[in-house]
Amino acid sequence: METRTVMKNKRSIRTVVTVCALLIAVALTAQDQYTKGMSKAMDLWGQGKITEASNLFERIAMAEHDNWIPYYYVAQVNTTSAFGLKDEALLRQRLDKAKEFVDIAKRIAPDNAEIVVQEAMINTAWMAFDGATYGPMLSGKNMQLYNRALQLAPENPRVVYSKANWDMGSARYFGKDTTPYCKDVERALELFATFENDTPFYPSWGQDQAKQVLEQCKG
Amino acid sequence: MKNLAVLLTTLLAIWVSSAQTTINGMVTDKAGNGISGANVYLEGTYDGASTDENGAFFFETGETGTQTLVVSVLGYDPHYEMGDVSYFQKLDIKLIEAINQLTGVTLTAGTFEAGDNSKVSVLKPLDIVTTAGALADVVGALQTLPGTTTINEDGRLFVRGGGAEETQVFIDGIRVFQPFFGTAQNIPTRSRFSPMLFKGITFSTGGYSAEYGQALSSVLLLNTIDVPEMEKTDIGAMSVGAQLGHTEIWGKESLSFSTQYVNLAPYETLIPSTQGVRWNKPFESIQGEGVFRSKGDRTIFKLYTSFNYSNLDIDQEDINFEDFVRFRLRNNNLYFNSSYKHFFESDWGVSLGASISRDTNSILVFDNDIENNETAGHLKAKVSKSFSNRFELNMGAEVFHTNFEENVEQPDGFSFESSFDDVLWAGFLETDIFFSNDFALKLGGRVERPSVLDELTISPRLSLAYKSGEFSQFSVAYGDFYQNPIRDVLKFNRSVTSEKTSHYIFNYQYLNDGKTFRAEAFYKDYDDLVKFNTQFPQFDSEYSNNGSGYATGLDIFWRDNKSIDNLDYWISYSYLDTERDFRNFPEAATPNFAPKHSFSIVTKYWADKLRSQIGLTYLHGSGRPYDNPNTPEFLAERTRPFQNLSFNWAYLIDQQKILFFSINNILGINNINNYQYADAPNNVGVFERRAVRPAADSFFFVGFFWTLSDDKKSNQLDNL
Repeated sequence: METRTVMKNKRSIRTVVTVCALLIAVALTAQDQYTKGMSKAMDLWGQGKITEASNLFERIAMAEHDNWIPYYYVAQVNTTSAFGLKDEALLRQRLDKAKEFVDIAKRIAPDNAEIVVQEAMINTAWMAFDGATYGPMLSGKNMQLYNRALQLAPENPRVVYSKANWDMGSARYFGKDTTPYCKDVERALELFATFENDTPFYPSWGQDQAKQVLEQCKG
Repeated sequence: MKNLAVLLTTLLAIWVSSAQTTINGMVTDKAGNGISGANVYLEGTYDGASTDENGAFFFETGETGTQTLVVSVLGYDPHYEMGDVSYFQKLDIKLIEAINQLTGVTLTAGTFEAGDNSKVSVLKPLDIVTTAGALADVVGALQTLPGTTTINEDGRLFVRGGGAEETQVFIDGIRVFQPFFGTAQNIPTRSRFSPMLFKGITFSTGGYSAEYGQALSSVLLLNTIDVPEMEKTDIGAMSVGAQLGHTEIWGKESLSFSTQYVNLAPYETLIPSTQGVRWNKPFESIQGEGVFRSKGDRTIFKLYTSFNYSNLDIDQEDINFEDFVRFRLRNNNLYFNSSYKHFFESDWGVSLGASISRDTNSILVFDNDIENNETAGHLKAKVSKSFSNRFELNMGAEVFHTNFEENVEQPDGFSFESSFDDVLWAGFLETDIFFSNDFALKLGGRVERPSVLDELTISPRLSLAYKSGEFSQFSVAYGDFYQNPIRDVLKFNRSVTSEKTSHYIFNYQYLNDGKTFRAEAFYKDYDDLVKFNTQFPQFDSEYSNNGSGYATGLDIFWRDNKSIDNLDYWISYSYLDTERDFRNFPEAATPNFAPKHSFSIVTKYWADKLRSQIGLTYLHGSGRPYDNPNTPEFLAERTRPFQNLSFNWAYLIDQQKILFFSINNILGINNINNYQYADAPNNVGVFERRAVRPAADSFFFVGFFWTLSDDKKSNQLDNL
């Protein structure tokens, strides 16, 4: 009798545990939908499926109104894929989309340096496409954006690196020495080593590019 | 208990994996062609897919019940479909092409735009500063566009056979009453604005919107910058003076000001002007301009103000007098312009604007002392509503008030006063309808009632545009335009009525990859022009509205900044055939300000190695009519053609320091603007004449411009 009761209790405990585990699993699945969706979008991006990746980031963004990260990625996918495009219509489509989403991201997170850097990247893509037309129009704007980003997050490695890279580009254009900015790149690399942010899918690019630039500095 | 657990588990399993519903279909355009890359999804979920190259899409969802399916892709209006998920199968979704401001048809007949974003931009704001011969004058740069004629000794805008007073200038939609510096006869003037405070310039050479009136020929619309890019200080040292500008930004507010001091005295000492003039006191001016802006999420407030004091004292040759005739001018001008715009969520927009100006002149001519002042104001309220991106309505009301007083004191002690006071009410209503990306219509009308003339005018305006190909479009425009007679008439006579023109415009434009081609044919019908029976309007002249005239012609523009690396050039040609009977003309004739052919070519070459921009501008105008009283014909003779080659060199010492050098009329061509004939014949019965020539053939300019960004970090680059 005694044993049976124990047995029965054990069984019911097991049931409770099972149910609880299941509930947690369900909850996790629900929470993980974001992780799953974002990972899938990242995969698509990795496979070079720009439209699919952008569309999925956009769907996630549209369902997560107060999270700037998916908006940021819509902008980033469209900006990075616009570099090197020769077709102006397609370039404009991508960069306009990027700008639209960066603007929403800015509204969600007004003082976020990552978004400011992303906005400057869009301008850089325009300038890369047609320097004569967009250079005079946007270079001042970019200088202002990088300064603002640095003000907001002086310890952010992407900010430090992006600004240094921009300054180097300007110096090169005006035939000036670019080496003073190498130490900024070095500093960016040091910051990359220690920079941490727990937010899932927080931007993490830049380290490899910075390394390459530093190599050019040394070479 | 166990059973319960099983049941729960099963239920949860069902809930988790859920019965997946399949959603599929096709997305096509109006013609049935598949649209690839469209984003199809259930609103508020991650469930969705992109369409493939045929426009087909397919995805599964765990959602149930009523959902909204969204289809979105650039270039098309988004599509929403509401219903139970189970019905979202084999969907056939047709998307409607979105009206694209950037690549779609634009209503451009008659207008030239200069701006950063407008696709119809023919000039960028920077072009104004870097066009050789323009000397950073907005109007100087516009004179290289077709439809304008360079009237060398005047400096203002003469558009399609119209006089300078037929063009009106607006800042942020609000009228500027004295856009040009005061000057002496035959000494060209400049516009009062510093080009860098403006982000966009629309120059209409005809057929413009019902929003603007009181201009028979043309309107020049200047828009101040909404949000300046950065804080900076501009310092300039020039051979003719100095300038200082600064921009300060506090979050959403910003203030820019620009001051300038110009004095031609040192230049005149070095290189004196000798052709028919003697300066007692060369042109001197002190000028300040400022813009305060406050931009909210849905509002923009701007206050623009300018102050200007200028003076000059000159002796000029006159065929009727042995000695030079003295002319002295002191001008004070104060101008305020404020505008407020509010954009409501419901696509309603309201803008309110007001301007007020006070202009006083103290003039000494032929020993007459003339003191005059004009106080003028403009109030305007405009409402616009976008019903969709296909249909937009604009309407508004405005009132202009002008008060003018003049007192002339003659050397004999006799003096007389004249004045007028006009309140002009106007209302306008206009719609923009985009039938598709290929076909658009602007239709509107304007009503005006000037109190001084006691009449009511109604002017219809119409403009149509059809996109004939990916890069080309045709437009037509028609409009009636009324304007009060000039001040010199109104101060003596009120029985006259408004002068009138009708414009008919046909335009073709081709835009592709840095290349712009425009051809515009026009016909202008002038009516009710004011006539008087004395050489100049006088208090005892007889006035009538019996004048009339026409102007017809062809304007051609070509700009290319792509074909040759680092070279940007534009070519303009205007053909103008015009005759009018107005003022004191005995018969219809081509006026002195309307040469038949005008040609200009502007080139800008960026020399990378020299870090320099080198510009050349060549202007050519065929001979201008003048009247020789020794012949019976009226205005039948022509001066020799006008030619001018100007050169400029902008050297970038570094990113923020520019050395600028320019020569106007580098070849020293001896231009003759007109001939002045004696009022009476000499003793052998011949009217003697003298050539009216520019005070100096050539003009040199050297300037050093230095920009300091407020942020010290960005100055590292300059090793300062």
